[in-house]
Amino acid sequence: MTARRPLIATDRAAIMLQLVPYLLGKGEVSIVEAAEEFDVSPAQMREMVEKLTVIGLPGDGGYWQMPNELFDIDWDLLAEQDRIVITNSVGLERSPKLTAREAAALLAGLQLARTIPGVGDSEIFAGLLAKLARGASAAPADVIVASGPVDEARSVVAAAVRDGLAVSFTYKATDAAPTTRTVDPVKIQIASGQWYLQGWCHLRRAMRTFHLERVSDIRLTDIPISHGGEPVPGWFEDGTDDVVVRVRFPESVAPLLGDYLDRAEVETTDSVSIATMRVADEVSLRRLAARRGGDVEILEPAGARRAAAEWAAAGLAQYR
Amino acid sequence: MPPKSAARNPPEERLVNLVVALMATEQGLTKDAILSSVSGYREQTEAGAKKDALEKMFERDKENLRGLGVPIETIGDRLDPEDLREARYRVPTAEYELPDDIEFSPAELALLNLAGGVWSESSMSSEARSGLRKIRALGIEVEDPIIGYSPRISVRERAFPELQQAIEQSRVVTFPYLKPGDEAARARRIQPLALVEYEARWHVYGIDLDAHAERTFLLSRITGDVTPTRATFDPALREGAGERARAGLDELAERQHALVEVNPGSEAALRLKRRARPAPQGILVPYVDVHELADELASYGPEVRVVSPGALRDQVVARLRATVATHGGAA
Repeated sequence: MTARRPLIATDRAAIMLQLVPYLLGKGEVSIVEAAEEFDVSPAQMREMVEKLTVIGLPGDGGYWQMPNELFDIDWDLLAEQDRIVITNSVGLERSPKLTAREAAALLAGLQLARTIPGVGDSEIFAGLLAKLARGASAAPADVIVASGPVDEARSVVAAAVRDGLAVSFTYKATDAAPTTRTVDPVKIQIASGQWYLQGWCHLRRAMRTFHLERVSDIRLTDIPISHGGEPVPGWFEDGTDDVVVRVRFPESVAPLLGDYLDRAEVETTDSVSIATMRVADEVSLRRLAARRGGDVEILEPAGARRAAAEWAAAGLAQYR
Repeated sequence: MPPKSAARNPPEERLVNLVVALMATEQGLTKDAILSSVSGYREQTEAGAKKDALEKMFERDKENLRGLGVPIETIGDRLDPEDLREARYRVPTAEYELPDDIEFSPAELALLNLAGGVWSESSMSSEARSGLRKIRALGIEVEDPIIGYSPRISVRERAFPELQQAIEQSRVVTFPYLKPGDEAARARRIQPLALVEYEARWHVYGIDLDAHAERTFLLSRITGDVTPTRATFDPALREGAGERARAGLDELAERQHALVEVNPGSEAALRLKRRARPAPQGILVPYVDVHELADELASYGPEVRVVSPGALRDQVVARLRATVATHGGAA
């Protein structure tokens, strides 16, 4: 679950507007379940439900509202079993329209989901796009996510996930010789337009992550998966990152370093940052250093620094 | 019924009471009626609060609710629409609620659940979750959740939310933009129309008001704040803008090719050949931005040699030379 930020009054109002249709739809629900649905603590949820009972239609001619003009809940059930039931409702029964931003967030996600072979068909996507457009209170900003075409590797992996079968392929990791792998697919991560297969590698007898761009000669086997229940490793955490490197770069370059910094400790003074991170081997960073053309300086270890200089010099020698 | 404490009620109670009251009225409520009858205002009116302070509070509440997507309609004097003294306010149910005839099937909800989970660590993630909650509250249950996939979209650029808001409001913005090779960032003034992730980079597409032409900017090259101006533009310009932007980038990649030689079996060969076409002397790699391609080609070091265009070759050479210099080698 995401870290909870403090709620301001408008956040709480937004939640209360959504809470009524949710509670009516559920009929009866526990404080804990409702709190989870709304990403708030159980105590916050209880407070909002209690507050709901002072919400109602305006008093007629300045008189106080009658009980049937206010929302009400089953107080005994709340006190004794921590469960919520609305016993009187005075409006707000149907969900509010989506805001432009909410619709945009879902529409962009659908574009990405659409690139997965076998997930939905174009009819269902077209229907959803139309419903979200009609269900939004204002026109969402166009947020477009362009993805590469579905190639053979993606189709085969999608079929393997669907049918619960292992795949076999040739894998070429950066700066390593190709290997032949048989893998029980567990999860497919899709990020920055790239597909990553996470699964149980029969060769290494462990969970591994494979970048599909590095996969060739892929085929579906008839071996049912046997390690589908293994925990999925985190992003690229294969337990092989054991070289500690330090790199220096202008603070403004940080957004260009992307994933590298997700795993780094960064200290910044006077707009210059120094990041300390673990990588798989000392030469792997030479590609990053050359890509950023002098903006990223490898400070240590000395071997990594030397490797970067040699790598760039060898590249340069071709133009002499 | 005994009056409850006249102390100020929490503002969220007042906001929600206002929505309930404005939805329950067909002909609308005047400001006076709201201040004297809607709980939250009524107590303060009765406690003798100043009327102009309460009116200001009402204006703020209206703005906050509109920010949440609540459509508050103002019905002015028919003869003099500028005269708001007798204006009535209401929330039309049809515009507030999800339309009655919109229903989602379990299969559609399964897809939406997948789509709603793509945003990693950004404000878009809570927007997606909130949108999903509204849909789930219609009472649909997912029968077959889509498992085995974890699609992600990341947005690291600070400019993204600022540009998105400007697009929603059809508002002209300015921002400092650093073109690679330029010494300093230059201020740009654009009508932003769409945000596009293309080749894993976020772009904003819009009309550059100084160049009088459509332009696409990389968010990573926006070096400072995106500043909204008071000027707005016709929202009709936004229609189909995202698709136009994508088509423009596709067309650019179709037109621009780099001729490069790659070492067989290398990382460069593996990554580039997937998107390249064979040529008599090497391979032809399509690209949209010469600087971005130069970054990538420089990372391959000795695995790739640029034949043409000359501008690309110069840029790759410059990066390699700077890398050698920074790391203490002789260039």
